[in-house]
Amino acid sequence: MSGQSTAAIRREGLWSKAVYKFSRDRAGLVSLAIVSIYTIVALGAWGGLWATEWADVTGGKWMPVSSEHWFGTNIIGQDIFQRALFSTRTTFEVGFVVALLATAVGALLGAVAGFFSGSWIDEIALWMMGVLDSIPFYLFVAAIAFALQDNPYAMHVAMIATFWTTVARLVRGEVIKLKSLEYVEAAHAIGVPEIVIIFRHILPNTFHILLVQGTITFVAAIKSEVILSFLGLGVKEGMSWGLMISESTMEVMAGFFNNFLAASAFLFVLVMAFNMFSDALQDALDPKKV
Amino acid sequence: METLQYIIRKLITGIPLLLGVTFISFMLMVYFGPDKTYELLGKNATQEQIDEIRHQLGYDQPFFIRYADYLKELVTLDFGHSDSTGEPVSGLLGRTMPISLALIIPGFVLGNLIAIILALTAAYHRGSWVDRLIMGFSVVGMSISFLIVIIAFQILLSSSYGLNLFPVRGWNMSTFGNYLSYVTVPTLATVFVSLGYNTRFYRAVIVEEMTRDHVRTARAFGVPPARLFYKNILKNCMIPIITRVIFSIPLVVISGSLLIESYFGIPGVGKVTFDAITTGDQPVLKAVVGMTAVLFVMAQLVTDILYRAVDPRVTLK
Amino acid sequence: MSSDQQPLLRVRDLVVEFNTEAGVARAIDGVSFDIYPNETVGLVGESGCGKTVTGLSILGLIPSPPGKIVQGSIEFMGRDLVSLPEEELRNIRGSEISMIFQEPMTALNPVFTIENQMTDVLTRHQGLTRRQAGKAAIEMLDKVGIPIPEQRIKEYPHQLSGGMRQRVMIAMALSCGPKLLVADEPTTALDVTTQAQVLEQISLLQDEFHMAVILVTHDLGVVAETCDRGIVMYCGNIIESADINSLFNHPRHPYTEGLLNSIPRLREKKVDQLPIIPGRVPDLFHLPEGCRYGDRCNRVTDQCRQTAPLLQSVTEHTAVSCFHPVTQTSG
Ligand SMILES: Nc1ncnc2c1ncn2[C@@H]1O[C@H](COP(=O)(O)OP(=O)(O)OP(=O)(O)O)[C@@H](O)[C@H]1O
Ligand SMILES: [Mg+2]
Repeated sequence: MSGQSTAAIRREGLWSKAVYKFSRDRAGLVSLAIVSIYTIVALGAWGGLWATEWADVTGGKWMPVSSEHWFGTNIIGQDIFQRALFSTRTTFEVGFVVALLATAVGALLGAVAGFFSGSWIDEIALWMMGVLDSIPFYLFVAAIAFALQDNPYAMHVAMIATFWTTVARLVRGEVIKLKSLEYVEAAHAIGVPEIVIIFRHILPNTFHILLVQGTITFVAAIKSEVILSFLGLGVKEGMSWGLMISESTMEVMAGFFNNFLAASAFLFVLVMAFNMFSDALQDALDPKKV
Repeated sequence: METLQYIIRKLITGIPLLLGVTFISFMLMVYFGPDKTYELLGKNATQEQIDEIRHQLGYDQPFFIRYADYLKELVTLDFGHSDSTGEPVSGLLGRTMPISLALIIPGFVLGNLIAIILALTAAYHRGSWVDRLIMGFSVVGMSISFLIVIIAFQILLSSSYGLNLFPVRGWNMSTFGNYLSYVTVPTLATVFVSLGYNTRFYRAVIVEEMTRDHVRTARAFGVPPARLFYKNILKNCMIPIITRVIFSIPLVVISGSLLIESYFGIPGVGKVTFDAITTGDQPVLKAVVGMTAVLFVMAQLVTDILYRAVDPRVTLK
Repeated sequence: MSSDQQPLLRVRDLVVEFNTEAGVARAIDGVSFDIYPNETVGLVGESGCGKTVTGLSILGLIPSPPGKIVQGSIEFMGRDLVSLPEEELRNIRGSEISMIFQEPMTALNPVFTIENQMTDVLTRHQGLTRRQAGKAAIEMLDKVGIPIPEQRIKEYPHQLSGGMRQRVMIAMALSCGPKLLVADEPTTALDVTTQAQVLEQISLLQDEFHMAVILVTHDLGVVAETCDRGIVMYCGNIIESADINSLFNHPRHPYTEGLLNSIPRLREKKVDQLPIIPGRVPDLFHLPEGCRYGDRCNRVTDQCRQTAPLLQSVTEHTAVSCFHPVTQTSG
């Protein structure tokens, strides 16, 4: 089908141009490098290569920075550096699961709503988005946490249920735009089933939106995780920066800042890098941007 | 007259949203929420006592009956008494709501106002170092967690390790001086955290407006740059600005202050709601959820009317 | 116009560049021309040849970034507009030099009334009070042929038709009695009857206000009807400049000749695109060596391919940049 190939060419042009633009964006490259380092740290912690002693008491209470304990120890003598490393894994788990699923759900429902825009399907989808956007986030998470009987994934479910709406609105808008394009109309005219049109012809052309939104959702998820864990609604097993900060509030009152600073710094650098990476992606993928 | 008709019509179209929000919240918070039977009775209750208390709490009714009862309460605005404290819900909210508002409004207003000024400044100097500086700080601001900001500000401003200028925790509105001393640190934290996101959003809106034809026309007629921004551009940007501000109000009122309230131990509505969720205090939850939904419908109404005020092309339909 | 008069506007060797992603685009490359008081000059050329950019340069409105005047001077009544401080330039904009834009639908600010926008200009440049300005604005609207102006002035742009909006633009542009009006395709977006009316209005008011007009247009018919002189642009250069009679009866540049030959003899439908000449306009990043029109020209020689011809005066009021100008009118 020639219609399909023109769409494919358009896509290819967008991507090769994006790669070129990104490769010339210094801030983007630096942020990508930082994100990659974090990813390696997370994978290593996951594979048991390092940070294996994060839960063990390996020293005395509140030991200062030393060659043995790079960031010192916490109130019960656990190594703060190992705990911060191990938390990276938790963060990536939360970020990836939430970003991936929220984007997927948003893309799917957004595409369907957009494709059937004006019909009752669209109405229902819009209504659902409106409703979910109107429920206060933290209360929603708390409610889901209780409804799911303290299930460790309550937080993930709540975030996905909240975050998909933004993706869906964007995809819906883009799909409404794409729907009127010639090749989609052509496919429609020659009787290609609607589901095929959505998945083969329309969704691939919204991929740049999904990628950018995915990074934005990732950031939102890891930032929310910290606050939820602090409130006791987040991570239940293992360690996370939010739990470290929660732990550190008592230490802070006693004038011991290592735990707080370590978790804050790890979180800040990752979020900052991710934000910059997301910006660079957006710049590279925006066809309008000159 | 036309406006009144419009308002009524808009309220009617708000009903599905109202039902949706209350339904989902009711299902999650009340139906699947904590069961208070044993909490009230203790471990060794007889079956009779259990049945009795479950009946009192309404647990023995089918789901839809309970939801319908809830809707009735919502319409009559009668939510009864808090399960936990026995205080009337209206009294509880009437007591905590002003605290939350007093706590959050200064930060909310300043966070948006300063952001608009920064965004105008950045857009005005678009591409120059001023723009890059402001936008750089915005990304940094966006990257710091609210929690970290609160703790850091508390250390820096309210502890003996820092300036030690303000009380560490608590709340007191008895005098204006007291109010200021308690509200300052939360306000600074709120402003700091919202500034990054707000500035970026507002700058994007303003920069987009700057490329419009009418701006070129204004320049061709000699409008000075400052006036160009404050008169010609800003009014055109009001629709997205109003939307953002108004729609964040319901969330800010209900839960925006939750983190601050629980960290600073301030007895506001966010804290009360949070406690109600964790203890399963149904009357309180029902009231708060209903209120949120109503606030959102109101927000829609208010934005539409404000749109009409700033943009003559908008008609109330 | 008479030759002994001082020119009102003297553009010399103007070069405007845009920094784009693909590199630096030289949208205007060494343009020189004069505008005399009270005359109407048509500026014609294919889309993208730099007509709008030329007009914007005069008012110092090149969007920057990405654009920049990198060379040349624009002298207006003894002042060089290129080096004039922004503040003084602002005092000239809308009062001594006015510009009307192509898009009447979007050129006015949608959220302010006509009155607000017009009195804004009058109070700023004429020092009038709001009340005086309101009165003057109503008079001006009346002059451009808007019925019931005291009522119309209270309305918002979206309540007016395209033709009405363009009249409002004209009223606004002329309200301070400018010496020079740059009209960038003022009628392209309008239907044919409205087009004629609006153009007639401009001519009428031009005599009343004694101003010069630079009329940017695609429509050679409009040039023939309303202009005293014509300037033909191609790819950022002026390739021919002549009074209207010579331009139409005796075009010297092969490009001008091509344009004239392809005008439909019976102008029954609106021409919003210049007639087609075989070949394509080269883009600004792949300009040919030598004459930029070379690839499309039927008179091209090796000389044309090696060196670019300069704009040379042929008679007192005609100039052409061609090594082999057309000598006899063929059609
Ligand atoms: N803001 C800009 N950024 C980059 N290039 C620009 C910009 N504005 C104009 N140009 C370039 O300058 C050249 C001249 O544009 P200009 O708008 O003057 O053409 P024009 O003759 O008015 O065409 P039209 O008849 O279509 O209005 C074009 O090649 C265009 O690509
Ligand atoms: Mg143009």
